Amino acid sequence: MNAIFAYLFIFAGLTLLFKNPELFLSTVLNGAQKSATLCLALLTSYALWLGLVSVWEKCGINEKIAKFFKPFLRKLFKTDDDASLTAISMNLSVNLLGIGGAATPYGIKAAQLLDKTENAEYSSALLFVINATSVQLLPTAIVGVRASLGALNPSDIIFPSLLSTIFSTALGVILIKAVFAIKEKRSAKNPAPRPAFIQKTKAGVR
Amino acid sequence: MNKIFACVIPCIFLFTFLFALFKKVKIYDSFTEGTKGAIPLIVSVFPYIATVMILSELFLISGLEETFLNVLAPVFDKIGVPKEIAPLVFIKPLSGNGSLAVLSDILTTYGADGYIARCACIAYGSSETAFYIGAVYFANLKRKNLTTALVVSLVSFFCAVVFGCFLAKIM
Repeated sequence: MNAIFAYLFIFAGLTLLFKNPELFLSTVLNGAQKSATLCLALLTSYALWLGLVSVWEKCGINEKIAKFFKPFLRKLFKTDDDASLTAISMNLSVNLLGIGGAATPYGIKAAQLLDKTENAEYSSALLFVINATSVQLLPTAIVGVRASLGALNPSDIIFPSLLSTIFSTALGVILIKAVFAIKEKRSAKNPAPRPAFIQKTKAGVR
Repeated sequence: MNKIFACVIPCIFLFTFLFALFKKVKIYDSFTEGTKGAIPLIVSVFPYIATVMILSELFLISGLEETFLNVLAPVFDKIGVPKEIAPLVFIKPLSGNGSLAVLSDILTTYGADGYIARCACIAYGSSETAFYIGAVYFANLKRKNLTTALVVSLVSFFCAVVFGCFLAKIM
């Protein structure tokens, strides 16, 4: 992420420097302003959904949903950590309903909990991909936009849209599984790179 | 059909509160307790969102985004994705609000019922904004090696768009 950010920023900055240097400051400030607006919008939606979610927790709805998903998730994420499995299953079920705002707090919680487990690299990559490719049963936003722009049958994209989002999630999960299987094989075959990496970080700390 | 969808969210709230009453949960107290959690959440997430947004704004204004789109358009045509939806495919992983704006722009320009509109809707629905997920969900973690996950998400999103445009043709 550090490298990607640096290269993209330098490249875009240089382009702007040659094209229109006086736009630079206003552009970056505008970006920051947009982030503040977004955070304010997020704050309102988190406040609402976290309130609801807290009522769910008190009623024990969470555990019921989690019980249903857990056996499957335990295998998929290769972790036995109960708290993170609960968070993941809530994240998933809310995502299925298409309430992105409510899924985010659970996603953040799940990511933080997974970070402390053994298999963190694999499981958090999987969590990322599942969230990024989102399976949505009802694409409410799109149907709304289409209807407001006068489509004759606004909901006729629901089925193809569902197929393609299932396709993207399945492909993402398979790819992550494949990448980590290859990584494991490599590290099993030649464990040499590891000590070198540790030495390097040690030298860095000194 | 739309009325049914509109009922989903209010029903979730009503069902929750009725169930909570039945379970004798203190609804007001637990709701406020949950709401309190929103502020620390935003505080921990804000720096990452701000940084990503600054970069994406710079990318847009510097004209690099347009250059990318012009380069990509002919490639899109070859694999069966109408080049009119290229801006959507490019902006979708970067910004949720931005892509919704682009989507409604495409729908107004090319009509809400046509093939291009259907492709655009399916492309929009097939994935979430990957960079947002990266910035928000994984903001304050120690082990941040998300490059693999990000690349995989983008690849599967792109494949799903190609698949979706094919579906729009036959369904």
